[in-house]
Amino acid sequence: MSQLQARFFTENEKYKIDDVPFSIPASSEVKDLSDIINKLLEGKYAAHSHVDFDFLVRGQFLRMPLVDHMEAEGITTEEVVEIEYVQRFTAPEPEECIMHDDWISSVEADMEWILTGSYDKTARIWSPEGNAVMTVAGHGDVVKDVAWVKRDGLTSLLLTASLDQTVVLWEWSSEPNKLKARHCCRGHAGSVDSVAVDPTQTKFCSGSWDKMLKIWSAVPTDKEDEYQEMPDRPRKKQKTETLGLTRTPLMTLSGHTEAVSSVLWCDSEQVCSASWDHTIRLWDPETGSLKSTLTGSKVFNCISYSPLCRRLASGSADRHVRLWDPRSKDGSLVLLSLTSHTGWVTAVQWSPTHEQQLVSGSLDCMVKLWDTRSCKAPLYDLAAHEDKVFCVDWREDGVSHFGGGVCNSRAERAVNGHDM
Amino acid sequence: MLNFDLCHLTRCGAHVVSGPYSMPASRSRVTEGTVMDTKEKSGKKRVAEEDDDQLSLFKIEKDGFPKKLEKEDNDDDLSDSEESVFSGLEDSGSDSDDDDDDDDDDDDDDDGGVGGDDDDDDDDDDDDDDGTVEETKDADEESLGKDNEEATILKTSTEQPFSEKREAKRQGEKASDGGNAVRKARASRARGTGSGKLEQAPGLGGQSSGAPPQGDEYEQDTSDEEDIRNTVGNIPMEWYQDYPHIGYDLDGKKIYKPIRNKDELDEFLDKMENPDYWRTVHDRMTGTDIRLSDEQVDLVHRLQRGHFGDASFNEYEPYVDFFSSETMIHPVTNRPADKRSFIPSLIEKEKVSKLVHAIKMGWIKPRQPKESGLQLYDLWAKEDPNSILGRHKMHVPAPKSKLPGHEESYNPPPEYLLTEEEKLAWEQQDPEERKLNFLPQKFACLRTVPAFSRFIHERFERCLDLYLCPRQRKMRVNVDPEDLIPKLPKPRDLQPFPTVQSLVYRGHTNLVRCISVSPSGQWLASGSDDCTVRLWEVCTGRCMKTIEVGGAVKSIAWNPNPAICLVALSFNQMVLLLNPGLGDKLVCSTTDQVIASYVEPEEEKEQSVQWLLPEDQDVEKGVRLIINHPKSVRQLTWHSKGDYLASVMPDNSNTQVLIHQITKRRSQNPFRKNKGLVQCVSFHPIRPYFFVATQRYIRIYNLIKQELMKKLSANCKWISSMAIHPAGDNVICGSYDSRLAWFDLDLSTKPYKVLRHHKKALRGVAFHKTYPLFASASDDGSVIVCHGMVYNDLLQNPLIVPVKVLKGHTITQDLGVLDVAFHPSQPWVFSSGADHTVRLFT
Repeated sequence: MSQLQARFFTENEKYKIDDVPFSIPASSEVKDLSDIINKLLEGKYAAHSHVDFDFLVRGQFLRMPLVDHMEAEGITTEEVVEIEYVQRFTAPEPEECIMHDDWISSVEADMEWILTGSYDKTARIWSPEGNAVMTVAGHGDVVKDVAWVKRDGLTSLLLTASLDQTVVLWEWSSEPNKLKARHCCRGHAGSVDSVAVDPTQTKFCSGSWDKMLKIWSAVPTDKEDEYQEMPDRPRKKQKTETLGLTRTPLMTLSGHTEAVSSVLWCDSEQVCSASWDHTIRLWDPETGSLKSTLTGSKVFNCISYSPLCRRLASGSADRHVRLWDPRSKDGSLVLLSLTSHTGWVTAVQWSPTHEQQLVSGSLDCMVKLWDTRSCKAPLYDLAAHEDKVFCVDWREDGVSHFGGGVCNSRAERAVNGHDM
Repeated sequence: MLNFDLCHLTRCGAHVVSGPYSMPASRSRVTEGTVMDTKEKSGKKRVAEEDDDQLSLFKIEKDGFPKKLEKEDNDDDLSDSEESVFSGLEDSGSDSDDDDDDDDDDDDDDDGGVGGDDDDDDDDDDDDDDGTVEETKDADEESLGKDNEEATILKTSTEQPFSEKREAKRQGEKASDGGNAVRKARASRARGTGSGKLEQAPGLGGQSSGAPPQGDEYEQDTSDEEDIRNTVGNIPMEWYQDYPHIGYDLDGKKIYKPIRNKDELDEFLDKMENPDYWRTVHDRMTGTDIRLSDEQVDLVHRLQRGHFGDASFNEYEPYVDFFSSETMIHPVTNRPADKRSFIPSLIEKEKVSKLVHAIKMGWIKPRQPKESGLQLYDLWAKEDPNSILGRHKMHVPAPKSKLPGHEESYNPPPEYLLTEEEKLAWEQQDPEERKLNFLPQKFACLRTVPAFSRFIHERFERCLDLYLCPRQRKMRVNVDPEDLIPKLPKPRDLQPFPTVQSLVYRGHTNLVRCISVSPSGQWLASGSDDCTVRLWEVCTGRCMKTIEVGGAVKSIAWNPNPAICLVALSFNQMVLLLNPGLGDKLVCSTTDQVIASYVEPEEEKEQSVQWLLPEDQDVEKGVRLIINHPKSVRQLTWHSKGDYLASVMPDNSNTQVLIHQITKRRSQNPFRKNKGLVQCVSFHPIRPYFFVATQRYIRIYNLIKQELMKKLSANCKWISSMAIHPAGDNVICGSYDSRLAWFDLDLSTKPYKVLRHHKKALRGVAFHKTYPLFASASDDGSVIVCHGMVYNDLLQNPLIVPVKVLKGHTITQDLGVLDVAFHPSQPWVFSSGADHTVRLFT
């Protein structure tokens, strides 16, 4: 059996070993290498307990025998191979299953609460344990997206976007557990599919089926904007009255030729939107101008931006998760394609803490955890859902992530939390 | 040489009778005859009588000659005019006689030296044996000479001295000789030379002609002398007809014609009395009659018989071959060899060196050694492709006849022999049907084999085969069949088109008969046999609404106008107009307003349908209007403006198609006549045209002009569905016999292309609004998506490429996919199946 010269290194001080080349069997796999490292560590630190390691050769995770990997990557076996090892990311376990009555269209998690929007025209606030704390009802149609605006102390602001063409800004105080609709943002001519709050938490952007992006103020006021109601409208929608004060958009960004499926703020100076017209557009929310366009070949269902690696991840109807560099001007350069899903990728979310991890949900009932260093296959498939996955999110600490899914046949809904 | 003589002799023979210049030798005989005639006229009579038989013979032959001559000489009237001329000239004949005599005198002198003869007759007789040969020879030579010389008068002058010499003695002779002598002399002169002189001698008396001339034979030989008795030359003698003279002698004096006083009677008497009449010929040159001698007659006879003129000539003498194949001991000639034969030839050397050089250079190839031996060839071998015919492009070699097999052997193996039953069957078979055209037979040995009775028949058939069967080379195109397939672009290059199934819309409990997508592409309406209509959110597959209706939904159509939110659906005899309340709220409310704003017209028109307002509970469900038809409605289709709705009620009646106007709540029947069972109808997307598909034809009507514009024949048995290209110039129709026909309306009324990709009946076809795609749904459970690019360039035909077979529906109760619809903006296709599902392929 042939041998390879390898040198191991790690950035984790805890698991540092001596920087000497080792001769290892060429056909070693991850487990063999992990055993070697553990042996070495045991020899170094008496108190060492067994840890599973993952290995990276030139930034790529080792997923097959070492020699095969090097052959596939085109690395010569003559020289000493530099192998980085990291503590293995343990497989996420389903922690909690939150049952919902209807399809969950969106999920937004923070450290304390979980906010979900549902097809039963309500949004709900859940405690991490899975108890429904509050039901946000009032929309005349399906709630398509939800977002936390602000959480300070007991009161929080949250947004719900609905098929009834409105976004409602709610104020929720957790202690008396009271909910109040502060503003009803009206102006879209189609279902509002996506809302995103800017990092300063003073504005939010909504994307709608009517191809428009609208920027609204997220600051609750007592003043009501004039809304041009159609004079000959037969029946005034009484519901909207109960949903608080009418608010009109600060700005409308138009340019998409098809429905806008997803919006987000890259930073406070840049809005990014994905659309069914096969483009991702970057806008300047101050001037309302289009900054650049990334053109794909398929419908985009969702995008996510990671400030850590400054990459955009998009999920599209052709089953791929693609990584984009939003800074490239008018380039449609795909940095990386992550292909493993077998259905539309409906949701994608970068890890808030780890710059190489992202999670994606698809109509093929799978949630996948990806590491960009291993683009051929996801780190883990999370197959806890029984039906289509529409949304995923991370908890802010990056430990848990959630998927919103449906189980069509029995009308039973679940939000699965997975603990790392 | 001999042949040459013979030829001349025969010619002379011909001239003997009538030619004035011919046969001098014979003339001399005639002269003799005349001499005899005068002396022993009576004596010879008997002889003439004895010769009667000969005479008659000869006469006949004589008669024959002039005829020949007439043809040959063109002297037609010569023989006739001769006598008259001569007769007229008789008086002046003496002069010419005198002239002629001179020659004779000379001759006589010469002859005299040789020897003499006493009796003319004897002489004649003697000469028969020994003289004739020479005579004839001389005559020959003379005639030869004449041929050559008569043309040249010059030659005559060269011989002048000789004739002068004779002339000197002429005077003396004149007196002594009588008229006969003159004739004789002339005759001998006519004969010309030596032999003539011999014969002349007897005429002169006393001189023998029997012995050949001795001494200097060349002196005697006048064979090259011209007959110079008359110097007129070779001219037609009739020129002298009117003159008393017949020509001129050497001195330029006139030769007068002999006096001839013979008239017809004399002629007759002469004929009767003169025994030699038959052998008398007239010499036109001199105008005298000449009696042919026996030798001459004999010669004529021989020539007529085709024998040699010389009787003594042995034509079968042994041939002495001097230069034989046998090698002789002695050289034929004793000539010493030339010096040059010992010296190498420079010319030859030069030539050889040239040849050597040419061989070295390869210009000349040394001769190939000839292949010796039998030249055999294989009768059944294939024709050599390099032969001249084989190289010919169009040449088809004759088919080889079949090789004989074992059954054709005279002693075939027993298994080839037919049994009795087989023989019987063979005999009963038609000759055309027989496998073998003969019966195999067994013979003990080859000797007993009979002749092949069918040989000629078989050869004949073979010939028929060869020339009646056209051996024509078919221009077979030798190409790879792959190359013949038109170069279609690869489906990969024709993206986007739906490739995979993305979503399944579940909820129906019976087969989903019809689907329709909202113009925005957000919603999908489906009608099912479970008497419900479901409205789905396209991107999630969420069923937003379920509306129960009173029957299986046969057709559903979303209003194509984005400003109107209406879904038309039909079940049983009802057509419902449904406001689903999805999408823009504003649009929904506007739609409601439009429908509510209807004002009843003042006079109620009689309509074939009832426009009903729904009850309250139906209004809650979204139903806005009900159109009650007299018969069950199969299909609904909207005009692109969204105000007109056409409904189809397949029936045998005249009201199969109705066009409804929603705002005015009016219905009309555009067609008075029933042109067949209407399957489906469609509005033209831009122009006011209306497509009506019956079982076999698609008719296009202009609604404004109210006339039939085109009639497309689909070449199929039963059209099931139809779709119009968004540009309006192309139509596809699916049929129950699993064909999809594409019509280019600008091209023809026949299908531009017929696609038979489906295995079972087609149920639905659809065009994409923006992408060059069309799809067909079939009972085989598949949806086939084709790329159908229509070019603005009228010269370019549509490009049709099947790109994808989409499978996903399961076949339920022999039904597969029932309807197909494209997403209005994305390259996605929806299909509804008998498996209760609607599927989205992206």
